[in-house]
Amino acid sequence: MRERAHSTIAEGTLAPSELARFEALVLPHLDAAYTLARYLMDNDDDAHDVAQEALLRALKYFDGFRGDDARAWVLAIVRNACHTWQRTGRSHPVAVEFNEELHSGAVGDEHPEAALLRAADREAVRGAVAALPLEFREVIILREVQGLSYKEIGEIAEIPVGTVMSRLSRARRRLARALSSVARERS
Amino acid sequence: MTCKDFEAQLDAYIDNELPPAVVGEMTEHLDACAACARSHERQLALRRALTQHAPALQAPPGLRASIRQAIRAQIRPAATPRLPEWRWLAAAAVLVGVVAGTWRVATTRARAEALTDALLASHVRSLLGSHLLDVASSDQHTVKPWFNGKLDYSPSVYDLAGRGYPLLGGRLDYVANGAVAALVYGRRQHVISVFLWPAERGPTAGPATVTRQGYHMLHWIAPDYAYWVVSDLGSTELREFTQLLQRADSAAARPDGR
Ligand SMILES: [Zn+2]
Repeated sequence: MRERAHSTIAEGTLAPSELARFEALVLPHLDAAYTLARYLMDNDDDAHDVAQEALLRALKYFDGFRGDDARAWVLAIVRNACHTWQRTGRSHPVAVEFNEELHSGAVGDEHPEAALLRAADREAVRGAVAALPLEFREVIILREVQGLSYKEIGEIAEIPVGTVMSRLSRARRRLARALSSVARERS
Repeated sequence: MTCKDFEAQLDAYIDNELPPAVVGEMTEHLDACAACARSHERQLALRRALTQHAPALQAPPGLRASIRQAIRAQIRPAATPRLPEWRWLAAAAVLVGVVAGTWRVATTRARAEALTDALLASHVRSLLGSHLLDVASSDQHTVKPWFNGKLDYSPSVYDLAGRGYPLLGGRLDYVANGAVAALVYGRRQHVISVFLWPAERGPTAGPATVTRQGYHMLHWIAPDYAYWVVSDLGSTELREFTQLLQRADSAAARPDGR
């Protein structure tokens, strides 16, 4: 058992209409916020805490939000919170077992075949995603799980669109390699 | 287009990030080159694997609840007398252009302002599509029981379709720190939100009208309920609608029912 992150916000600092605006614009993206946190953090508890901290931060600074893309705005806050947690080592021991040998992908330059990818199961896919370095993992999640455009991903991850594409490309190569090597091991 | 060009743009191609002219060239190359077609197939297989096994997730209920709690904590004004939630709503409502009671007028007026603010925001928010209806039904016998267990009162729901105001459904809304029933009726393309909560038994009053940002808000107090009606419908029709509600209320209150 461990303590949940605590809210540190002052009470009664936003007008009711601002709170209504927060509910209308930001809360619909709570699932997306949690999804990003869950894939960037190593376990459920960390994901819960970091998402909560990020949403409270969003609430606190909401009166400064004047843009038109609340989803990208809140995802950027979540993403930054995840990075901070990872950097400061607040996260808990890695729950996903990661077998370095299995995922190191020493398959050479040949293209893994689509059939091998089709055979990938849940455990293999989750393991391969979890094994990606954070900067590759975030672009994959934002693109493949959350369906964001390169422009949105670039805004969230604070990188140019060209870098979004090259990171996606490298992340996919790593995933394909890891998944086909798992499949080969098994066959 | 060379295979090298194709390979370099394959990610952008499957992500729909290429200009149409380039998409055409890519597709052409794809049809002509078996090796690149295999690369493309591999990318799609990876995407399918991710879609299937790394899905979008739902926030755990506890997380949602704690965020909502934080929002409610923000709404609570400092040094508010601790009345049961709907009781001070009722008290504040009485003061809005209707009756000045024994409450301290300054604080209550501020609350009344906050209340109209919150009700209007709730109505507008519902139109933005994020939370129009929790229960969508034109049947009053479906909508009314939906509130059972969610509120400590049972709102009156009427079938006014015959009069041109069909019931669309209802939702549970948080207004000024309390859960209230919001019933939604329609009139052509207009949406009418009807908020109601128990009123102190006492003299009936109203209706009083407030117009804000192009929305009309009508408020009155029936023997048992404080009512707020919010819509962008014309004021004549909205008044007709409130009369229908009031008549339905009085009919329901008669001992022989109906
Ligand atoms: Zn080719």
